[in-house]
Amino acid sequence: MRFRVLLFLSFFVQRTFSQDKFSISGYVKDSKNGESLIGATVYKLGSSVGASANEYGFFSLTLPKGEHTIAVSLIGYATYTFAVNLDKNITKNYELAEEGKQLDEIVVTGEAEDKNIKSTEMGTTKLDIKQISKIPAMFGEVDIVRAIQLLPGVTTVGEGASGFNVRGGNIDQNLILLDEAPVYNSSHLFGFFSVFNPDAVKDVKLIKGGIPSQYGGRVSSILDIRMKEGNSKKFAVNGGLGTVFSRLSIEGPIIKDKMSFIIAGRRSYIDALVKPFVKKTNPIKDAQFYFYDLTAKINYRINAKNTVFASSYFGRDVFGAVAFKFNWGNATATLRWNHIFNNKLFMNVSGFYSNYKYFLGFKLPQLNQKFEWTSNVINYSVKPDFTYFLNTKNTLRFGAQALLYDFLPYDAIGQFAEGSSVKFKSEKRYGVEYSAYIGNEHKIRPRLTFEYGLRVSLYNYIGKGTAYYYRDTIPNEPKPLDSTHHFSNGQPIKQYINPEPRFSMNYVINSESSIKASYNRMAQYLQLISNTAASTPLDVYTIASNNLKPLIADQGSVGYFRNFKDNTYETSVEVYYKYLQNQLDYVDNADLFINERVEGQLIQGLGRAYGAEFYVKKNKGKIKGWISYTLSKTERLVRGISNDNWFFSRYDRTHCLNTSLNYDISKRWNISTNFVFLSGTPASFPNSKIQIQNYNIPYNTDNIRNNYRITPYHRLDLGATYTFKKNETRRYKQTLVFSVYNAYNRRNAFSIYFQAKNGEPNQTEAVRFSVIGSIVPAITYNFNF
Amino acid sequence: MKNIIKLFILVPFLILTSCTDVIQIKLDEGSKIYVVDAFVNNLRSNQVIKVTTNANYFSNQETPGVSGASVILKDLTANKQYVFNYTSNGKYVFTLTPADTIAKTDHSYELNVTLDGVTYTSFAVQKRTAVIDSILVVQQEGSFGPAAKDTMYNCLLLARDKADNNPDYYWIKTFRNDTLAENPDELNVSIDGTGGIVNDPPSDTIYFTPPGTFLSFKSFHKYDKCKVEVHSVSKETYFFFIQAIAQINNGGLFATTPENVKTNIVTPDGAKTKAIGRFNMAGVATKTTLVQ
Repeated sequence: MRFRVLLFLSFFVQRTFSQDKFSISGYVKDSKNGESLIGATVYKLGSSVGASANEYGFFSLTLPKGEHTIAVSLIGYATYTFAVNLDKNITKNYELAEEGKQLDEIVVTGEAEDKNIKSTEMGTTKLDIKQISKIPAMFGEVDIVRAIQLLPGVTTVGEGASGFNVRGGNIDQNLILLDEAPVYNSSHLFGFFSVFNPDAVKDVKLIKGGIPSQYGGRVSSILDIRMKEGNSKKFAVNGGLGTVFSRLSIEGPIIKDKMSFIIAGRRSYIDALVKPFVKKTNPIKDAQFYFYDLTAKINYRINAKNTVFASSYFGRDVFGAVAFKFNWGNATATLRWNHIFNNKLFMNVSGFYSNYKYFLGFKLPQLNQKFEWTSNVINYSVKPDFTYFLNTKNTLRFGAQALLYDFLPYDAIGQFAEGSSVKFKSEKRYGVEYSAYIGNEHKIRPRLTFEYGLRVSLYNYIGKGTAYYYRDTIPNEPKPLDSTHHFSNGQPIKQYINPEPRFSMNYVINSESSIKASYNRMAQYLQLISNTAASTPLDVYTIASNNLKPLIADQGSVGYFRNFKDNTYETSVEVYYKYLQNQLDYVDNADLFINERVEGQLIQGLGRAYGAEFYVKKNKGKIKGWISYTLSKTERLVRGISNDNWFFSRYDRTHCLNTSLNYDISKRWNISTNFVFLSGTPASFPNSKIQIQNYNIPYNTDNIRNNYRITPYHRLDLGATYTFKKNETRRYKQTLVFSVYNAYNRRNAFSIYFQAKNGEPNQTEAVRFSVIGSIVPAITYNFNF
Repeated sequence: MKNIIKLFILVPFLILTSCTDVIQIKLDEGSKIYVVDAFVNNLRSNQVIKVTTNANYFSNQETPGVSGASVILKDLTANKQYVFNYTSNGKYVFTLTPADTIAKTDHSYELNVTLDGVTYTSFAVQKRTAVIDSILVVQQEGSFGPAAKDTMYNCLLLARDKADNNPDYYWIKTFRNDTLAENPDELNVSIDGTGGIVNDPPSDTIYFTPPGTFLSFKSFHKYDKCKVEVHSVSKETYFFFIQAIAQINNGGLFATTPENVKTNIVTPDGAKTKAIGRFNMAGVATKTTLVQ
């Protein structure tokens, strides 16, 4: 394998070994803090010849020998231009200054501003943290996941639901990467806050379609979050005191321009705030419920060609009282090495560890009873990735990944009376996923760019462990166990191989508009087991096995992109169609919690989602922001459910309108607003009741799932940021953020359910359950120096 | 048991932000189906089988009874049959003779309900029940449960399962001063004393001490009468209860997808009206104690 890669490389090296062309390569960085700038464009002024910096800020641009004027640009930064006489390869790092802060440089309208027109990226949105921080947020806290929920094609089941749904995909179909390590649960406090500390985040990119070949493992989207490297010029402190939690981050150089670090932490104090409102007699009086997280990163530039990074995240949510305790959280660690082989070949090797762990316990000491349950998913992975800037027309991306899933479905102990404890511990389950990929961004003609690639994933469900074999049965009944077979360490139980072709193209009509199209196939080897409306933190993942086939999705999309008024307005229309195979569903009355035969209760079915996304974004001026509208449909087909007909998925929303705007009134004041309108989600309602043993049981004689829709969801949020006058002698900067979430006090239904009143068994009623039942005002104080 | 877990998870979260309110909505009317409610046991009381129809979900009344049915229970093992006679409100009653009961352990039964010339059938086998040793009265203390000036008590059921390699399923009915605790959240079903954590245990060597230590979640006062009945149920009936309870109060953030409860009443092909419901033959162990 390694030999082939070398062979492959030497082929390209030979082909381009002519000396009438030279290249300029290096990193693009922020002049203020030394952070590498992802996606900065480096191009020959007045031409369409250019290159983009990759996720590590590295670029390489090959040009004919001679004099050139080169520009380096990125939105939000002043474009840096310089003249160069190219008679040899040049390696140099370039620094850009934030817009409005440059000195006397010439400002040229950068190519980066129309990147949405020129790049092959579609279904992709990049948000920088400055943009996110201006969106009015719940409890005034800047939040990445809640910000991306305002983008077209992204929805949730409702407030309080963990995760997000992209183009009709389930929440487990998003690959959430924090510095390349997967994060399994992106939510704190159910869905209210995301686990990402905005103070430590540099760049957020959501890819919904046209997914490049370097990404794989989840079928619906990639949320690629890159952490800051830490200020390499000077020490900086960021912090905030909020209604729900406080945060603090420290960053700075250890060796100036060579080694820097960032460490950021948050902790909530809702428990302390709620306590006075809880009655003394309430068993939750002594409750603890809080969350915290810690993010840290360190990088060391060994020399011009080698940089190493180490980053880590650790966070937990804890809920507990005398009688129960409940906690969950992610831990990730990433080690990375960036190496520049030569001015055209760049390598990043990442190794990561990710552990998502949950615990539940309760005890009744006076009765000597207790119950404890734990489960986890651990990943280990190594991932070499190469960017090869072959020539001005071709940029190659290739690499490989090995990923081990080490997964404990449950380990529980129950003690129901003295001396009679019962242990339930499942065997661990293991899977290995190998993948290799190659992709090329190919500028076929000045106006036509193709990006094509292939990823091949090979998955092995392996021992040590017991494989369960089930007999077939009628649909929607648990499958009876046929036999079991024990496999020893590393022994393959079941293998799957999936070629995943990727393609996207861009035809530039003129400098203001382009047409793009893309197709991608994705394979996913683990899925979340959850049959509840909102995924609970107790939901366990399961990996592909002899009983569960991997999830496969094919997606095609076409889009028209157009900018207006010198790139002030960015607009796009995209349509997509997605087809999913082997999506999980559950037999009726499935028992998913502590069940070694859970696979016999899972059914795999088909899914389809299609829609149109409209997006208008204003990038410049005093008012900035976007409006997006999505018209879509998401359905499922599962044997034995809903009379074998297609039914709406739980997160289907026909109309989604999202508006997010902010306005700079003055240097001191900025105001912002969100308005959201979403069609109600589908729900299954009964059409009658039946009585058995005096229980009034809801019943649907048509047996159709998701036959109704709950009322539409709409909400207005307001925000205002006041920036204190800066003290000239000190570097201290302070802001106050006022926010009002759900400003007109809409009681949006999360669900409507039906119940029989306790004590009056014949009294049946419909109940609206709202997660947020009031206006939520908040003030947050932020500082940095 | 699982409901307890769910409750523990939800409580702290719900007090933070959420709210519920009863709303008026219009639901479609379902087509007519017959509902057979046939829980027959070996207690020395008259045995009742109910035949009703479904009703509008919000009707707020008992579902309409169906008269004119022929209801026959056959003991296939003893080759006997028992005719249930209509009384009122869909009730069909078999009056016991002082000498005998219908229900016998390990006998197989067939139920035939005939309406408009269509016979709906169902089969059941009566399983053995547990042996109740005693009911232990435990004084409440600590932080669990509502605090009150007078001390409250919980009743703890100590019972034995007959060990062999087949799991047994039980429905534990609790009466306080002869009133059945029949609220949905008071339902207590159990497998071999594991409390339903493992729904399909490989063997039943576990001592049967239901985790429903509280026979009812409602506490007992001093001098209350506490009566317990342990009914043997089939595995299918056990799951029927689990499923029904999940449907009756299926609210909140983690509500599961609503389902129709499973039936063991077979509608013959070509029948115009479908019948659903539940037929179970139970052996019952019972014990009464005075809380003091």
